[in-house]
Amino acid sequence: MEIKWAMAIDLDRCTGCGACVVACVAENNIPVVGEAEVEKGRLMQWIRVARYWEGEYPEAQAVYLPVPCMQCERAPCETVCPVYATYHNEDGLNAMVYNRCVGTRYCANNCPYSVRVFNWFDHVWEKPLDEQLSPDLTTRSRGVMEKCTFCIQRIRRAKETAAEEGREIRDGEAVPACVQTCPPGALLFGNVADPHSEIARKLKDPRRFRLMEHLGTEPRVVYLKRQKGAGR
Amino acid sequence: MLHRRQFLKLGGATAFATLFGGCDKMQRTLIPFVIPPENTTLGEALWYASVCGQCPAGCGIVVRVSEGRAKKIEGNPRHPVNRGRLCARGQAALQALYHPERLSRPMKLSGTRGSGTYAPISWEEALSLLMVPLKKVQAEAPASLLMLTEPMRGHAGLVAGRFMKAFGSKHRVAWDPFGADAMLSANAAIHGIRDLPEHDLANARYLLSFSGDFLETGISPVHYARAYGRMRGDRETIRGKFVHFGPRLSMTAAAADLFLPCTPGTEGIVALGIAHVMVRDRLTAASAVAGRLADDLSAYPPEAVERLTGVHAHDIAAVAEEFARNQPGIAIPGTGAATGPDGAFHCAGVALLNALAGNAGKPGGVSFPNRALAFARYGSEAALLAPAPESGYAAMRDAIDKMRGGAFRIAILSGATNPAFTLPPSLKFSEALSKVPFIAAFASFLDETTSQADLVLPVPTALEAWGDDLAPVGHSGAVTLCQPVVVPFHDTRSMPDVLIAAAGELGGKPAKALPWGSFKECLDKAYGGPGGQMEIALQRGGFFGESSSQRSGARTGTVAFPKGTERPIDGDPKAFPLALHLYPSVTLYDGRGANLPWLQEMPDPVTTAVWRNWVEVNPKTAAGLGLSEGDGVTVTSPSGKITAHVTFNPGIAPDVAAMPLGQGHTRYGKTANGRGENPFALLPAGETYALQATRVSLTKTKLPTRLVRFAHPEGQWKISNLM
Ligand code: SF4
Ligand code: SF4
Repeated sequence: MEIKWAMAIDLDRCTGCGACVVACVAENNIPVVGEAEVEKGRLMQWIRVARYWEGEYPEAQAVYLPVPCMQCERAPCETVCPVYATYHNEDGLNAMVYNRCVGTRYCANNCPYSVRVFNWFDHVWEKPLDEQLSPDLTTRSRGVMEKCTFCIQRIRRAKETAAEEGREIRDGEAVPACVQTCPPGALLFGNVADPHSEIARKLKDPRRFRLMEHLGTEPRVVYLKRQKGAGR
Repeated sequence: MLHRRQFLKLGGATAFATLFGGCDKMQRTLIPFVIPPENTTLGEALWYASVCGQCPAGCGIVVRVSEGRAKKIEGNPRHPVNRGRLCARGQAALQALYHPERLSRPMKLSGTRGSGTYAPISWEEALSLLMVPLKKVQAEAPASLLMLTEPMRGHAGLVAGRFMKAFGSKHRVAWDPFGADAMLSANAAIHGIRDLPEHDLANARYLLSFSGDFLETGISPVHYARAYGRMRGDRETIRGKFVHFGPRLSMTAAAADLFLPCTPGTEGIVALGIAHVMVRDRLTAASAVAGRLADDLSAYPPEAVERLTGVHAHDIAAVAEEFARNQPGIAIPGTGAATGPDGAFHCAGVALLNALAGNAGKPGGVSFPNRALAFARYGSEAALLAPAPESGYAAMRDAIDKMRGGAFRIAILSGATNPAFTLPPSLKFSEALSKVPFIAAFASFLDETTSQADLVLPVPTALEAWGDDLAPVGHSGAVTLCQPVVVPFHDTRSMPDVLIAAAGELGGKPAKALPWGSFKECLDKAYGGPGGQMEIALQRGGFFGESSSQRSGARTGTVAFPKGTERPIDGDPKAFPLALHLYPSVTLYDGRGANLPWLQEMPDPVTTAVWRNWVEVNPKTAAGLGLSEGDGVTVTSPSGKITAHVTFNPGIAPDVAAMPLGQGHTRYGKTANGRGENPFALLPAGETYALQATRVSLTKTKLPTRLVRFAHPEGQWKISNLM
């Protein structure tokens, strides 16, 4: 079966809780940088939950917007990498080859969604915190760019299990860490090429929109707007 | 296909076994969550089920273990409380397990009391240091033993309770800074049941929240967040509507369709205003209740309520009508309403709406599952296993008085609720504690409380110990089991294990009361032991069969009308113009998470601040005070004074200053220390427990630090594109 991974983010369900952020940090060996580095804009988290204010008291509102890598179909970051460190893989994901990266940071510069983070240092995990590091993926060294991969190691694991059992991968079997944990179920992940998948159904919702659609990046992350009022 | 599999051989401290004689067997069988294929290769990960210990909600977890090390924590998909989901704090528990500052072996005080200098000792020495005074006190004055813990559930509670009883001391105090005292007494008054209800959000059409924090901290945040998601989006034609009243636009409030700010400490009055309209306009299902309350409610017409609360009369009337017409609907009170000086009144006002709506016991309403039923076989001891989620404030005050008076000769401390940090300093807890001649602390970390101990006994984390648990809500009668999912990382002993061994040493009544060789044996006896039911249960993470607790509709016949008592909050409004609103931190909870770097670096949902605490004010209020975003201020209350950075919250009432609890540690390790000051220090030592208890003033102060926030690097979006 053809595979086209996609993520749906339902803003009507997202509460801004940040569980996805910590799930991602835990899954992907993401370093902690400390207060001073965050101030310089060097937070390493691969998904952020942006919070927007609107209006004034007493009508003020806040809306949360979880922003992982959009895994653009026509990714502006890919075309500018001089060494093909960032490329399109067989599932249509925008992947990174860390040991090819030479640290030009052109990709981050060209990403309209600001989701790429750069290793300004070799980050250290004070012992024994390194015991937790996932053996499924490396830690990245200084001078290397990184970003959300849709938890490619979890996708691989699910694919391998399916292959071992001689079957196709099931809907819902491969999910990134953020989707797995999201308490209100705001995040959904799956194969849009499979017309019976939950995500294929979800993406028919008239509330759908994509971030900065006018840029023509064709993101694989699709948002569903917040709703107003009771009933549907 | 299920079959057993011998997996990790757990080592651990054998010294203890030498002293107390085989109280712990070296070999144990762990039961993996997903049974691995026969050809499991080394390096492949297995999942084991256990329980999250990061807050009292009791979510079920599964832990990914690879080569004996925990790699990731996820929610247990079978667990009724959280169904596979987990909050940020729960996932960060991994960092507590492998924390560089975790206590790895027993220690005795080597410097002066409270200096925090300790010398490592063996378990033999530690236990003899504990047993000598214990034996002496038991012979001479058993009532002078104090046990001060966080609320303990399951058989750990049974062991502690029985130990104290058999020892001959009734001074067992459990402290929880976010205890649900007010909600319990309100439910007793309105529903006739002194317990927490189950709110069936998933099936509700309308949700009224009164300073609710059910999506972030509250009683069971993952359980209710999941139910909230289902309320919004799981039904084909119905999307539940959510209206929030409260003084601050919190993370939970931000999720509401309609946020109606009210004056702090008036949540219950708003609720009574809504009740007034429901009764006046004959909108209630429970007409008998309505008839009886009509007279009392006549004092709360919307116009009068508007004057007291700042919520417009037409909003109150409109919400009342919508609530009544969109049943089943639920009214839910939050920590902000419950921890006002008159919290029980506010919670009762809210509970009254549920009674008037007649939703008790119905799908999409409130119900009171009988928690104690799971442990009914213990008779009167069942309360030890399923205690009411109270703060224990009164008992705590009493214990402080007695400590100061020299009534105690030994204090045994345990738990994450850290009273030296979470009690108002004016209660002088630490000073009183120092009057106790011998203090032993069971702990994973030194903190403001445990660093006062003479003897520190390191305990395993929830990922390394045997245990059982019954969650406060969402449990459906299910008992959660925990097992050591990894090889214990340090030379630790659980508190029940030490108490059981100590009881054996003491002989007599204590030995009879705790007749087991180890805590594991106690659990084996209780749950059918190896080879039986327990094995399957351990594999799944607990007993999640058909609900064993009956859902009881609450009895609404004797609804007592909530009476507000005049308990004005501290501080003259002239000198202290802003009401202080304290709330549990979304990331650090009551402060226990402050030593975990993942939580410190997770941007706060509302302010996006990291690594430091702040005081939230309305931008207009700040302008009036000449304050800009990020400015340092001194926050002064009649009881104390701290500094913090100002940050703007455009959705906070103009006469309020809000601060998250959890930062301000001084003795909780290098990640937690020096990240601002502790807002608990602003609280008066009141008769009843209250967090919303004082007014404050803000004065601009130069601070050497800066508040770092992480908002949206992509630039500001037009919000209308998102809604
Ligand atoms: S975990 Fe889900 S609800 Fe929480 S911030 Fe992330 S997407 Fe939103
Ligand atoms: S809500 Fe409490 S018990 Fe559940 S995952 Fe979070 S910290 Fe753990």
